[in-house]
Amino acid sequence: MNHQPFELWLLEDQSLDPEQKRALQFHLQTCLHCSALAETGLQLRSVRAAGPASGFTVRFQKRLTAHKLADRRRKFWGMLIFVVGGLSLLAWSAAPALTRLAASPAEWIALILSYIFFIVASLQALTDVGLVLMRVAPGFIPPFAWLVFASALAGIGLLWIISIWRLTYVPRGV
Amino acid sequence: MNDELTWVLQAQQGNQDAFTYLVETYQKPVYNLCYRMLGEPESAEDAAQETFLRVYQHLHRYDRKRPFATWMLSIAAHYCIDRLRKRKFAIFSIDQEDDEGPAFELPDPAAPDPEAESVKREARDRLHGLLGSLDGTDRAAVIMRYWHDLSEAEIAEALHLTVSAVKSRLHRARRELAGLWQEEKPTPRTQRRPHESPAF
Repeated sequence: MNHQPFELWLLEDQSLDPEQKRALQFHLQTCLHCSALAETGLQLRSVRAAGPASGFTVRFQKRLTAHKLADRRRKFWGMLIFVVGGLSLLAWSAAPALTRLAASPAEWIALILSYIFFIVASLQALTDVGLVLMRVAPGFIPPFAWLVFASALAGIGLLWIISIWRLTYVPRGV
Repeated sequence: MNDELTWVLQAQQGNQDAFTYLVETYQKPVYNLCYRMLGEPESAEDAAQETFLRVYQHLHRYDRKRPFATWMLSIAAHYCIDRLRKRKFAIFSIDQEDDEGPAFELPDPAAPDPEAESVKREARDRLHGLLGSLDGTDRAAVIMRYWHDLSEAEIAEALHLTVSAVKSRLHRARRELAGLWQEEKPTPRTQRRPHESPAF
């Protein structure tokens, strides 16, 4: 059965002139599909809005207060762990240097200079080693090792992407 | 500047009373959307509260050029769609509404008689049950169109779709509802069974 243009009239909720109305009425008497469409349309338009049980705002305020409290706690513990962790790491790495500083400042300055020199020399050596490896390694390293290396890189990349996503997450629709 | 925007601006500046006013004003439309989307009063209450919580957290992101109600319904709809996706083996319950329905719907003062009202309610419940068979986004579009009188352009904005996509989703949803309505319609018995008395 041809449902057009009746189906479109019903779907678009178009206003009809008397002649179109008569034609639609006639079609509805014979077409079950359009008749169901008209009936569901009427039902959709006549249905009333549901409302929450009374006291919704009070319940929301309680939830908001609990959320704020949980958020404050989370921030406090996060900050505490970050600060304590950072300070511990700093103290652990700086402890030998601080001991030496307390014993002899000249030795400490020499230590810093030698440390800087060591870092520069190490970087230089690493670059040289890297360049040599890049020339030589492909022939020696088996494919599965490359696979592991690539997977590890992909894993780190994924971790980085997830971290960025988590930090910048905004719910849909906002 | 309209009243609504004044309240929103005050809420953005941290005025708790202004935000409470917004919750009071919009609790019903937000709850109704969640209820029609999720089908159960408990889930709807939870989703509506979560919506307001998100509104509170992201109020600074609200674009004043958009209608506030549409923005809020958009948050509610997306939250409900996500929640529906997470419900892998959920059963859409209409029995629950039968039990709790009267608590959430106002009595109709124009109801001519209890029987007619009962038939109407049965039809409403049936429709509510059928909504559950629609895809989440289609369901949101139908609810926004018929319960909240949003235009196709507003629905498109709220659901991040194009106007033509909204139109096509609405048509598809209406056809699907009509099909299910037709399938589930109790067919009147016109012929008498051989053993039945003609009095029946």
